[in-house]
Amino acid sequence: MLESLQKFRQHLLTGVSYAIPFIACGGILIAFAIAFAPMTTTGPDFSNSPRLKLILDIGSASFALMFPVLAGYISYSIAGKPGLLPGFLGGYLSGQVKAGFLGAILAGLVAGYVVEALKKVPVSKYLRPIMPILVIPILSGALIGALMIKVLGPPIAVFMNHANHALTVMSTGNDVILALVLGAMIASDMGGPINKTAFFFGAAMIGEGNYQIMGACAAAICTPPLGVGLATLIRKALWSEEEREAGLAAIAMGLIGITEGAIPFAAADPIRVIPSIVAGSAVAAAIAMVGRVGDHAPHGGPVVLPVVDHRIVYVVAILIGTLLTATLIVLLRLRTNGMKARNEETA
Amino acid sequence: MKIVAITACPTGIAHTYMAAARLEKVAKNFGHEIKVETQGAMGIENKLTEADIRQAQIAIFAVDIEVEGRDRFNGVKVIQVPLQEALKNPENIFSKIQR
Repeated sequence: MLESLQKFRQHLLTGVSYAIPFIACGGILIAFAIAFAPMTTTGPDFSNSPRLKLILDIGSASFALMFPVLAGYISYSIAGKPGLLPGFLGGYLSGQVKAGFLGAILAGLVAGYVVEALKKVPVSKYLRPIMPILVIPILSGALIGALMIKVLGPPIAVFMNHANHALTVMSTGNDVILALVLGAMIASDMGGPINKTAFFFGAAMIGEGNYQIMGACAAAICTPPLGVGLATLIRKALWSEEEREAGLAAIAMGLIGITEGAIPFAAADPIRVIPSIVAGSAVAAAIAMVGRVGDHAPHGGPVVLPVVDHRIVYVVAILIGTLLTATLIVLLRLRTNGMKARNEETA
Repeated sequence: MKIVAITACPTGIAHTYMAAARLEKVAKNFGHEIKVETQGAMGIENKLTEADIRQAQIAIFAVDIEVEGRDRFNGVKVIQVPLQEALKNPENIFSKIQR
């Protein structure tokens, strides 16, 4: 059971890993074009700026390709090379019927398992060569196409539409709770599967035109390494020479948005470090959400500042989250050291 | 013992390389000879050659995503673990091998 869950996760993450560059290219090019186009009441106006329109079109193309790539490589992970065709097809159609990333993920999974099943159908050895070049592509493609256009696609499109609407009009109370949860997830395993789940939710929402989820994640992504790094700077006596060096490395990783920089500290002292970084990230995400911070790139930390909306709030969110994490770690360390000293006195 | 390994994580910018460094270090401590191929965001780096794979007694896949070129390892004993295992308990992996 555990093993099949692990397999399942591996398939999803394979698709995600191939899709990330498409989100990065699309998100940033579109944000750039919109930022420089004159804003009107009906949205940005590209009628007088063909160059910006060109950039916008390239970005949109990258976004449009994201769905086939995501579905295609989920299917590829399940069924290997023959999985690519129905995966790409299903992902493309998911974009066409507006079923979004959810539809693409589902298309990839169905495509992969269908091909895997087709591969196991016993055929005579005279027919075997035509299976991968004719039978599997046509059967799996026709099936997944019909599913996406007629069966699965439309209800998912309705659901995505509602979910997007709910997220954009979400009351302040609820979106702060969402940000707190996402921030805590980002910090909890520092780049592991829980972090990636929250991260990919934010990244996928960029594709749906909602940048605030990623904005909250982006702030949360960098505070764990920045916080532990700062902690080694403000109370040097609490740390070994090695840890202080690792602290500087953690700050560098934090600045470029790599949560993993906090891992050495969390591994050495999980009970004190993990709650501290979870608290810092959750608070940073919540502040970013309240301040309507939007991030157009599927990445976090100060390095994405040029493609962030409401930059000042973003910086403030990161600073407060970092300070909170550093303070908590130092206080918890001091308390334990104090207890140790007292125990030694009494002993 | 001669070992080949592959590390790969979804984002492919940090964990993949940290796991590779851990495996190399711990393998040395155990007295094994190891070559680690990384499949990160830059694609395949430090690629295992056919000779590398043929000479290895065992292959370790520390991966969270599907391995590229799995068919290269036909006929080699492979143990696959989640990438986290290589970061947190690399010693475990190697003691598993020795048994």
